[in-house]
Amino acid sequence: MELTAESWEMIGRFGGAGLALGLGGIGAAIGMGRTAAKANEAIMRQPERHGLLLRTMLIGQAVGSSPSIFALVIGFLIIFMPSSGANTGPLFAAATIGAGLCVGLGCLGGGVGCGWPSAAGCEGVARNPRRATQITTVMIIGQAVAQSPSIFAVVISLILLFVALPGTGLAAIGIGIGAGIAMGASALGPGLGSGTTGGGAVEGISAWPKTQAITLRTMLIGQAVCQTPAIFGMLVAFIMLFTLQDIENNIVGLAKILGAAIAVGFGGIGPGIGCGIVGQTSCRATSEKPQHDTLMLRTMLIGQAVSQSTAIYALIIAFLLLLGV
Amino acid sequence: MIDPVMIMGITEAVLAQAEPEAAITGPDIIKAGALIGAGICMGFGAIGPGIGEGFAAGKACEAIGRSPEQAGLLTRTMLIGQAVSESTGIYALVIAFIMLFRG
Repeated sequence: MELTAESWEMIGRFGGAGLALGLGGIGAAIGMGRTAAKANEAIMRQPERHGLLLRTMLIGQAVGSSPSIFALVIGFLIIFMPSSGANTGPLFAAATIGAGLCVGLGCLGGGVGCGWPSAAGCEGVARNPRRATQITTVMIIGQAVAQSPSIFAVVISLILLFVALPGTGLAAIGIGIGAGIAMGASALGPGLGSGTTGGGAVEGISAWPKTQAITLRTMLIGQAVCQTPAIFGMLVAFIMLFTLQDIENNIVGLAKILGAAIAVGFGGIGPGIGCGIVGQTSCRATSEKPQHDTLMLRTMLIGQAVSQSTAIYALIIAFLLLLGV
Repeated sequence: MIDPVMIMGITEAVLAQAEPEAAITGPDIIKAGALIGAGICMGFGAIGPGIGEGFAAGKACEAIGRSPEQAGLLTRTMLIGQAVSESTGIYALVIAFIMLFRG
């Protein structure tokens, strides 16, 4: 069965946009819902502060909905951008479906992740209403860092949509979808993890506001280590998009590319979540006992380094698949 | 809703993009299966140890926060626990290597 260029274009546009919004909307919805739940609980405890708590909730939800806005923008681009660009035929379908997967999976993690700091922010403002501005600031910083994997995913999506895939044929189709899976799935875990760490920091600072400087430092370092799987994914996506001109153009090449994409992509989920949990408890403990912050930082880094080990194994397998074997 | 005939048709159309002279043969399919299997193996095998070791380290950080003078003992326990959690990740790595180099 031979499909015409228009058919490939329709498959690509509708499949890609569907994946982008279908997956990307899940995360932000869960995160914003969690925020609303915590805000309700907080208003139950402090009904006379409901104006302040509602405002904190709306700020947190507004920042937390940005991943789904990213997904919406990419979805609109996929549906409406003119098709006489870089790719045609099945390559167009591969590129748009890849872009949709990329931003969809990436914004899933970021959306849920952004829900943790905003939920903790609502709870914290209820406990400590005089420090509302400080708590809201830390909440927004935590959410902003939790969104950076989603921004990496948007970058790779834009590259997929506007730059020609290398070569033609089965390998190029694999590169289109593979780069999408590699970046998208590997941005899922770090988004969740950075958000969890941000939530822990907000909890700690709302209970012990004077320790803000040290807790923020621990949070930023913890979130930076959480981002590592997303960097691995971005690296593999760049290798696929720009350096793989001489890979076999048959089913073996396709298998190599998809295998590498699944390895580095899904391999980033667990370490991202795990490092996030480490960061969350470290931030809380650092706020509680700031005099031991060096010890806490060291333990957090050791724990996060061991959690990252399987992400490194996955990266090795991906490199072997793409560049060796 | 999802028409199997349509899926077959699209798959056939995608696979028809391969180089015309390189028809898909038996050894090729096996090698392709091994390579994608290695990827799936390591990809999903990395999820569990990542989350598990994260839990272990998280509780260790909390415990050290409560009693910092026990830091040495607590860190050692955390590392032993994480090493045991790592074992399934190593199994996945071994199988992935076998599939890459012997598939």
